[in-house]
Amino acid sequence: MDWDKLVQLLVNGVTLGSVYALVALGFSMVYGILKLLNLAHGDVLMVGAFIGWGVLGWLGGAQDPSVAVWILIVLMVLAAMAGCGVLGVAIERFAYRPLRRAPRIAPLISALGVSFFIQNSMLLLFGADFRSYDSFDLVDVEVGIEFGPLRVWVVRLVVIGAALAMMIALWLLVTRTKLGKAMRATAIDREAAAMMGIDVDKVIVKTFFIGSALAGAAGVLVGLVFGQINHFMGFGYGLKGFTAAVVGGIGSIPGAMFGGLFIGLAEALSVGYIEDLTRGRLGSAFSDLVVFLILVLFMLLRPQGIFGKPEVKKV
Amino acid sequence: MRRGLIATAIAVLAFAAVGTAAVAKTTGPAAPAQLAACTNVSLGVLAPLTGPAAFLGQEQLSWARFAVSQYNRANGTRFKVALGDSQLSASLARTVGRRFVANDDIMAVVGGSTSQSVISSAGLFERVGLVSISGSATRTDLTSGQFSTFFRVVPHDAIQSPNIVRYVAGNLRARQVVVLDSQDDYSVPLSGAVARGLRARNVEVDRESVAADETDFSSIVANVSDDADVVVFATQTASAAQTLSNQLREQGKDAIVFGTDGAYSPTQYKPRLGYVSSFANDLRFLRSARSIVRAYNRFSNNKAFGTFGPPSYMAAWVAMGAIQRACADGNATRSEVTTQVRRTNTPSILGGRVQFTRRGDVRASKFYIFRVNNGTYRLVG
Repeated sequence: MDWDKLVQLLVNGVTLGSVYALVALGFSMVYGILKLLNLAHGDVLMVGAFIGWGVLGWLGGAQDPSVAVWILIVLMVLAAMAGCGVLGVAIERFAYRPLRRAPRIAPLISALGVSFFIQNSMLLLFGADFRSYDSFDLVDVEVGIEFGPLRVWVVRLVVIGAALAMMIALWLLVTRTKLGKAMRATAIDREAAAMMGIDVDKVIVKTFFIGSALAGAAGVLVGLVFGQINHFMGFGYGLKGFTAAVVGGIGSIPGAMFGGLFIGLAEALSVGYIEDLTRGRLGSAFSDLVVFLILVLFMLLRPQGIFGKPEVKKV
Repeated sequence: MRRGLIATAIAVLAFAAVGTAAVAKTTGPAAPAQLAACTNVSLGVLAPLTGPAAFLGQEQLSWARFAVSQYNRANGTRFKVALGDSQLSASLARTVGRRFVANDDIMAVVGGSTSQSVISSAGLFERVGLVSISGSATRTDLTSGQFSTFFRVVPHDAIQSPNIVRYVAGNLRARQVVVLDSQDDYSVPLSGAVARGLRARNVEVDRESVAADETDFSSIVANVSDDADVVVFATQTASAAQTLSNQLREQGKDAIVFGTDGAYSPTQYKPRLGYVSSFANDLRFLRSARSIVRAYNRFSNNKAFGTFGPPSYMAAWVAMGAIQRACADGNATRSEVTTQVRRTNTPSILGGRVQFTRRGDVRASKFYIFRVNNGTYRLVG
């Protein structure tokens, strides 16, 4: 057993999983409250990555930043969160709210339309070229933590730490604050919550803002750790984030966190070991097969996900 | 409920029937050759103008437009360019191909840029006798006789793979190599040939594969042995080669990335140390091309370019020359243009002359190997 490889894959999996978890949280929050699959969520992540890239360029670029690197990263994340939060609110206001009483297929199609609209708008605004965060110029690759022969780049640790901090903050917000209580009440029964004096529209708007802000942060983290961003990157992250949300139990916040990490680890470990496990029959190219097989198995065997509760329908 | 289901089923069946009819229409017998007046002639440019390989498609388009502008000025012609965006997708290339076939003004196509776009569109062009000339599709079997109206001005991968093998095993003296493909019609056969060639020279080879749109290579890199000397990456996107190179460094692996064709991009692939094999020389390394480089810089307002643009310039130039010869009597058919392309014998801005073999390959061509140091490219082989 090559332990170095295993630890490296675990680090890769947790990094990837942290990003998926942030995306899955947005899916879960919106689904929990509106029972809507916000298929444009991955594209919000992409917009966040571009906002972060814009702030990076505005503050001198990776080679010659005009502020300390940690301040720069914080500013990039905050700007992306604010920008994407506002974008999320706009999407809710113009694409979903008018369809709130329509059949469930209508907002789903509207979400698809929003996804293409955002993607093509970014193509029009920024062109088709890949944009680089040049993270290796921003933070030297030698800076990190050594585990024996293994080195973990500090940016990976920042990504994992930032994602963890945001997940804990969200969990505290949902469980310990008045807004969180209102969100939970709206998720359980929107009409009853309204009758209890909760401004449901306001709760929905805030939910979209928070979920989209998390996606924006995830976009910057992706740019920092993987270096390259482009206008169609949102689709892949959106799809994996959605898978993570379903596996964890869509609507459940701890479920989204767990699902993200689970999918990230499954993807990384399958790339690393699928060839050995199948005696060379399948190669690393089939890692997505494993990820989506997990999705199919959960849909068949435990559709409510790991943390979800089975839906009881009363006649 | 049942009525609804039946209605949906009927709608789906009707949709399928219309789709089948449409497909049957486009795959039907060859259209008769139409004589076209040579007054309003366009070149179709089939390239990935958006998407992950847009950097190469935009470069090709820019050089094709430059060729048209220069040719028109020199010959008093009025050629135009019609755009077709394949986005690196075989199905989109086919859709664009149908559009080009239906447009009678298009007498020749520059492209497709990638092997998969040629595979999906060249058959359509062949049916109506429309010639297509690629400046970058290198898959060997494209000129095995399956597409009689397809030509290319760059060499094929049966020349590239032994070249890479020779350099990696001979010049770099690599003993352990990872060969990585990006799961498409271009990179899988090329990677396979490179892996076989290296094994034949007793080099230890590990084969890996990633999706073409992958942005995270960290888990693939974990599979790369600490003792590996080189990772040969057959890719169509330079940014992917750059990310792979970064992540090898991140994990403390000493292996260097040896990219192919699509990796040639001084703005996007700039590792500390790396190599690129390319189907064309960089014009900036050719003394004889100084004036054309200056003219292009003026034309494009100093737009950056690599090795993708100039071959497309030549493809467009060859196409326009053939159309002009076919139009000598005032009108021409697409088949006449194809015949004239076959007879091409014209000087190339890349050095030598462009002449085609019976199967559509360019004669006397070779691949070039560049060493990359922090974004500086130097021709080494």
